[in-house]
Amino acid sequence: MDLPMILNISMLLTLATLLTPLLSPLLVKNYKNSPSTIMQTVKTSFLISLIPMTLFIYLGMENITYFWEWKLATNFKIPLNFKMDQYSLMFFPIALFVTWSILQFTTWYMASEPQITKFFLFLLTFLIAMLTLTIANNMFLLFIGWEGVGIMSFLLIGWWHGRAEANTAALQAVLYNRIGDIGFILCMAWSATTINSWDIQQLSPLNQTPLLPLIGLILAATGKSAQFGLHPWLPAAMEGPTPVSALLHSSTMVVAGIFLLIRTHPMLHSNPTALTLCLCLGALSTLFAATCALTQNDIKKIIAFSTSSQLGLMMVTIGLDLPQLAFLHISTHAFFKAMLFLCSGSIIHNLNGEQDIRKMGGLQKTLPTTTSCLTIGNLALMGTPFLAGFYSKDLIIESMNTSYLNTWALSLTLLATSFTATYSIRMSLLVQTGFTRTTPTILINENNPAITNPITRLALGSITAGLLITTYILPTKTPPMTMPTTTKTTAIIITLLGILLALELSKMTHTLIKPKQNPLLNFSSTLGYFNPLTHRLSSTQLLTTGQKIASHLIDLSWYKKMGPEGLATLQLKAAKISTTLHTGLIKTYLMSFALSILIILISSTQ
Amino acid sequence: MNPQAKFLFTTSLLLGTTITISSNHWIMAWTGLEINTLAILPLISKSHHPRAIEAATKYFLVQAAASALLLFSSMTNAWYTGQWDITQLTHPTSCLLLTTAISIKLGLVPFHFWFPEVLQGTSLTTGLLLATALKFPPTTLFILTSPSLNPTLLSLMAIASTALGGWAGLNQTQTRKILAFSSISHLGWMTIILIYNPKLTLITFYLYCLMTIPIFLTLNTIKTLKLTTMSTAWTKIPPMTATLMLTLLSLAGLPPLTGFLPKWLIIQELTKQEMTSTATIIALLSLLGLFFYLRLAYCATITLPPNSINFMKQWQTNKSTSMLITIFITLSIMLLPLSPM
Repeated sequence: MDLPMILNISMLLTLATLLTPLLSPLLVKNYKNSPSTIMQTVKTSFLISLIPMTLFIYLGMENITYFWEWKLATNFKIPLNFKMDQYSLMFFPIALFVTWSILQFTTWYMASEPQITKFFLFLLTFLIAMLTLTIANNMFLLFIGWEGVGIMSFLLIGWWHGRAEANTAALQAVLYNRIGDIGFILCMAWSATTINSWDIQQLSPLNQTPLLPLIGLILAATGKSAQFGLHPWLPAAMEGPTPVSALLHSSTMVVAGIFLLIRTHPMLHSNPTALTLCLCLGALSTLFAATCALTQNDIKKIIAFSTSSQLGLMMVTIGLDLPQLAFLHISTHAFFKAMLFLCSGSIIHNLNGEQDIRKMGGLQKTLPTTTSCLTIGNLALMGTPFLAGFYSKDLIIESMNTSYLNTWALSLTLLATSFTATYSIRMSLLVQTGFTRTTPTILINENNPAITNPITRLALGSITAGLLITTYILPTKTPPMTMPTTTKTTAIIITLLGILLALELSKMTHTLIKPKQNPLLNFSSTLGYFNPLTHRLSSTQLLTTGQKIASHLIDLSWYKKMGPEGLATLQLKAAKISTTLHTGLIKTYLMSFALSILIILISSTQ
Repeated sequence: MNPQAKFLFTTSLLLGTTITISSNHWIMAWTGLEINTLAILPLISKSHHPRAIEAATKYFLVQAAASALLLFSSMTNAWYTGQWDITQLTHPTSCLLLTTAISIKLGLVPFHFWFPEVLQGTSLTTGLLLATALKFPPTTLFILTSPSLNPTLLSLMAIASTALGGWAGLNQTQTRKILAFSSISHLGWMTIILIYNPKLTLITFYLYCLMTIPIFLTLNTIKTLKLTTMSTAWTKIPPMTATLMLTLLSLAGLPPLTGFLPKWLIIQELTKQEMTSTATIIALLSLLGLFFYLRLAYCATITLPPNSINFMKQWQTNKSTSMLITIFITLSIMLLPLSPM
């Protein structure tokens, strides 16, 4: 039993299985894909991917494959380099499981879509790109996956391309991702010129990595993972269909930035400045997103902001120099976030397209499975003890409390944790409890197993995933074991405070008084004034500078006024003055002659 | 005009010119100039309209003043040096006064004001005489006294003449005034090189006369006194407008034509004398002249006038063109290969 070969083959088989729906129409005559075949393909792929995962868990076996070089220059080779290590071997089954559930849900959600097969193929292409990103060992292959997920995100967000907001949102996603790509290419250029390789392994032996490539990587992560500064695209991406939001913008694509930082962690490890930067950026992102989520009324936007907040938390973990913990959070987060999105999708479709939580209520009786899973998801998100989120989130907060770091980042993260609880409870209360605020003429049911099965599967994952992963994967760094009781229970206390606050506030809303506007409410509901400021300001500045310098200064002033036209105007002036001098009066002429002679005589006798 | 009177005046002109250019004594030079002034006056005012009379009056006043100044300068020189030789004019004040006197006679800036108006008041043939023949004696005097003249003054007047000839000529629609300003401009070129190489002044003057004569004669043949008339000139004698264009461009100084020669030689001489900036300035200022020459050529040949023309060519031709115009046109276009190096 050649186990390394089995590991290799099963991973490659996983990828090959996913490629079959894309390649079969080219190879087989009259082959027609269908949504169910694609879903079955992904399910098969998931089952196959369990083999390498098991091999890794029981034997700790990791693998790097290296074949087929692209010889770009004589001394610079770019191979097809797969790294099957802890991260990629764990990520594959999780991503495939989540995708399988989402695809099953999509067969119900997008049933009335005429181009549903194309949609499934898009999702599949996205998945392949994401998995390529995960398994890549050199930055070139990673970049291929990176760009692939970016493009698919664009295509999928703008799926309903007749809608103007969807197009704007898709463009926003691409542009913000592109800004991040600049950082990625910066790092690639640096490593190509310094180390003459794009292998991630070869980046680590440096004692003190210079700050430049790390800034590039952090910029790339900011763009892809919607950290503060390049974040507006994530809430806007909710314009896409719910399966897209579930797959891309909760579990897989947005974690690509964090995944990059996890992969290149040895470089970050040696540079404290970069780590501090990650920490502060993450803390800021998590608090900002949590603040914005407090006053949102669209259910998908709330979940989007909660994703953004959790991404900030992952960035904080990177800043704490704990990549494995960040990966753990990625894994557990995938489950409950995808489930939250699927639940919201079910609610939206059943309420005939209603996304505003102010117009939902009392759904617990009509959609029992969905709402129960919604509650489970929210509890997992908040870090309820022994659900999935607890294992990663609590560990992060414990590590943060016991490490020697920036107090500001610490306090921001704790505040964000309590806000997480607040907005989750608010969402649950408004959606599930209370009197019904929906229109009476809708049919609500979840009789279709295509709805309930994926959601319950993911709920199972949300409950057990944390326990399973932490049991079977040993941490490479020893987690903090001893700390004071208050420190240990900080996360829970803060979460409880948040819950209590939410409950108290929701009691206040039963008295039907119109909420008064105050600056804090305005700040939160306009998402921190970020969008209008940056989108309008930067483009106006750029355009006016372009007009001033290119059009006015260069074209108009130098080429025209200083050049031909200016010269012509001068000559015209001179010609006009000269003609007015010739008055025709002989006395004036003779007088001028006399004067000129006098001047000549006087000036030359000096 | 009465043919005998005309004969008398023309021969007096010849006499006056000859006396001046062949004189050694200042009084003889003055005499020749006075004869010229008096002889040309009736020719200017031969058509008795007020403009011609006014032109004649202005001409007389200006020229008389100039001659008086000339006499005065030669007298002060005689007082200081005791001799009346033209080439021995050494006293500085005399030189200055002489320079101003001759500038007035020629029409250099700032003494040029009379020239456009006088030229506008006369017919084209008399204008031709004014622009070419009557400039000859003063130019001769300049050349004879050139070693003792003040270079700064001459250069200033020359550059100013070229400049003003260009700028003022830009705003004119009457062809005679345009030709007056072109004359002033060419006088500037002649004056700039006077100190350094009087022979070049002479060659410039000759070539200027050579090129101006066909223009005046052409304009006389097709009877265009304004730009508007110029645009219908092609109906009279079509080949003449084509040659007019070439002659005008030659006057502007365009290379394969004759007019390039004086400018070329002058610029060469100036650079040899380390006066490159002067050469650049004067060359750039003559570009202004190019513009109105081009405008004349454009109106004559390249455009059609806005008024409608019912016929291709006028059936009546009032004069047959003389051989004279043909000869001068040919010379003013083709003479560059004969340049003396």
